[in-house]
Amino acid sequence: MKGLTDWINDRLPFRELAREHLTEYYAPKNFNIWYVFGSLALLVLVIQIVSGYFLLIHYQPNEDAAFDSVQTIMFDVKWGWVLRYTHTTGASMFFIVVYLHMFRGLMYGSYRKPRELLWIIGFIIYLTLMAEAYLGYVLPFGNMSFWGGKVITSIIEAVPYVGDWLGSLARGGFGIGTPTLNRFMGMHVVLVPLVLIALVAVHVLALHKVGSNNPDGIEIKEHPGPDGKPLDGIPFHPFYTVKDIFGTCVFLTAFCAIVLYAPTMNGLFIELANYTPANPLKTPPDITPAWYLAPFYAMLRSVPNKLGGIGALGLAVILPFFLPWLDRNPVKSVRYRPVYLGMLAVLVISVFVLGWIGMQPASPALLLPGRIFLGLYLLFFLTLPVVSHFEPTKQVPQRVNMS
Amino acid sequence: MSDNQIDEKRRKFLTTVTSVVGAAGAGLAATPFVKSMEPDASVQAASTTTVDIGAIGPGEQVTVKWQDKPVFIVNRTPEMLATLKKVTPELLDPDNKLPQQPPYCNNMYRSRKPEWFVMVGVCTHLCCTPTFKPQQGSVNPKWLGGYHCPCHGSFYDLSGRVFKDVPAPRNMAIPEYEFTDNDTKIKITSLYPKSKLC
Amino acid sequence: MKYAAALIALTCIMSAAVVQAQEAQVSLKSPHYSFDRQTLIRGAKLFVDRCLTCHTLKYLRYSRVGEDLGLSKAQVKNMLMAPANAEYHAGMINTMRPGDATKWLGAAPPDLTLEARYRGTDWIYTYLKSFYVDSSRPSGWNNHVFPHVAMPDVLAMLGGERDRQGKLIKQGSLNQEQFDQVVADLTAWLQYTSDPSKIQRMSLGPWVIGFLVTLSILTYLLKRVYWRAVH
Repeated sequence: MKGLTDWINDRLPFRELAREHLTEYYAPKNFNIWYVFGSLALLVLVIQIVSGYFLLIHYQPNEDAAFDSVQTIMFDVKWGWVLRYTHTTGASMFFIVVYLHMFRGLMYGSYRKPRELLWIIGFIIYLTLMAEAYLGYVLPFGNMSFWGGKVITSIIEAVPYVGDWLGSLARGGFGIGTPTLNRFMGMHVVLVPLVLIALVAVHVLALHKVGSNNPDGIEIKEHPGPDGKPLDGIPFHPFYTVKDIFGTCVFLTAFCAIVLYAPTMNGLFIELANYTPANPLKTPPDITPAWYLAPFYAMLRSVPNKLGGIGALGLAVILPFFLPWLDRNPVKSVRYRPVYLGMLAVLVISVFVLGWIGMQPASPALLLPGRIFLGLYLLFFLTLPVVSHFEPTKQVPQRVNMS
Repeated sequence: MSDNQIDEKRRKFLTTVTSVVGAAGAGLAATPFVKSMEPDASVQAASTTTVDIGAIGPGEQVTVKWQDKPVFIVNRTPEMLATLKKVTPELLDPDNKLPQQPPYCNNMYRSRKPEWFVMVGVCTHLCCTPTFKPQQGSVNPKWLGGYHCPCHGSFYDLSGRVFKDVPAPRNMAIPEYEFTDNDTKIKITSLYPKSKLC
Repeated sequence: MKYAAALIALTCIMSAAVVQAQEAQVSLKSPHYSFDRQTLIRGAKLFVDRCLTCHTLKYLRYSRVGEDLGLSKAQVKNMLMAPANAEYHAGMINTMRPGDATKWLGAAPPDLTLEARYRGTDWIYTYLKSFYVDSSRPSGWNNHVFPHVAMPDVLAMLGGERDRQGKLIKQGSLNQEQFDQVVADLTAWLQYTSDPSKIQRMSLGPWVIGFLVTLSILTYLLKRVYWRAVH
């Protein structure tokens, strides 16, 4: 056996890779629970690809057959409900995990130099994920799938000059129908997953190049021991492999509890309005997107002007890219930045409220709160350069805190 | 020093136990996904085929698709039935010794009613679909009527019984079937479990 | 900070109040039933007797119902396979043609397999109890939960006829409690049809979660023994 592994390792760089990225890749020893979500995100990606493949075997991307093919999966395919509920639970869990992962970055300044590119790649992954989720949501071709599909393709048409042409490329026809399902399926199953996998690989490479941040926001590489390894660092394998495996088991327990006991989450994970087939002649009384897109939908609706709404949405999505340069304070972690903590709290509350607003039926009474919290969201980023320059901070320790 | 040794032993033990339990879990988790590839309930629903035999004239054969296989239904004339005794000496298994038909078809006619012949049209050699050759003398001057398989040249009589000295080893299979709707329809339900197609 | 909290609270209350005002329709009542075999069999029989003539359950096969409710093929055939075109492995369809349905009733009765997910069990329960006599409608019936519905009150013989204010103008064969039970059984049955997997999920649940909790404990112990080396 050892002869075989030696033969392979003489011809492929597995041993070197394992050393460079696992056994001799040093990570800070003070990771807390906020640091489990990266590996969980990777896990959910795998879950989605596997469950998605098995769904693909039974799905039919034809406007007359799509909805029925999903019911075939639920009613006729052996264990079909496992396939479908795993995939829908995975979709929502993907966003929960990614939002928590991003929030960790916001809290501890993981977007700061030298991790700017890591943050940017991560944010691109987030946007790609939103596209993937939207494409997947149209496929079951319930009535919400249809009208949600229509809403987004009409946003594409708002692009000046080429909007209509782009919209026709997206739809493949006059409305959302078989050509749309065919190309959305191609994108959802092949194109975007490949892009996601490539982005995730580059994301991890970018991380390993500079090493991870930590809850105290101090650079462990600045304090090497006599062997040249960071004093506050431990090899990723076995310490974080074993810790992440534990985190995985806890996560899977919650995941399976949802699949088994509450797969629709009372309409939050699987929208109940989608349990009726697509009807081009009948718009549902309320078209609301899935919960993970709701904050952005609320922003869109808060600005009645079509282009203005898209502009506000665009700004909300572009500003986070510049975070590494908007934040000018030398201190990274929220543990030592009480003012930044307050700003973060406002941001979080704004996103939650906007999310709630985005899930309500459209109402004139929601315009004002929507605008207020959209404003607060944008102000977080716009005021950060000034505030971070002047904000008082606490004393940052030299070495990490293990708590 | 001994602390490290104890740790190593505990590490190894827990790693082994966890790996075994984890592997068992992974196997259990994989089961629904693998099983989901098995034919689903809609396939079960399509497992029977009902044929209206009203339009099949005397001496005519109709081919229907049943479970993605061809089934021949022939409205046999008295002349056709008369040939069955005559060809008996040239047949490999004229008395249906092999269980290629349900018990109620274990006769010379290999059918419930002599005139209505139902057979799975799959050559028992290598699964081709034999050609219906009812015309006397159409295959060779001594030919009394039956089937000829174009792939490797096997011959069968008008009850699907295989001739001697041809590649095919068995009579073609008779499926389980019943007459329904006041004998105006034939419903093909399943393969007789002991029979072999090809 | 305080002002922000107050503003947020005020906004939430305001929005909630407005949204509620917009939904000033019928308040939906919840049925009370235990989701067990007997309830579902009763509901199935009721559905086949009174609903299947017009409403199909096309995604649900008779054979599946038999498996899930522990009924033999003979029992399914006798109790449930009422329409002339019923086949054991096929879905629960009826003999009504869509063209006829629209002609007779004004609109084709929808397939109800997924209705309980689409509308919710509260909606279905309340809907079936909210019919009232209305001579201005072609069917002679109207409904508080679904105004101007084309469906007549098929349960009127059981639950009686009510006027618009809810007063009983003609007694049915059941009293209020019995009628509520019948409607609850039907609702339970429709809850089952919208997701037959629930039965299997409930039975698997404790085992899967139990296994995962065990594995979590094991992996925690594993993590702890390795992390003793970290200070």
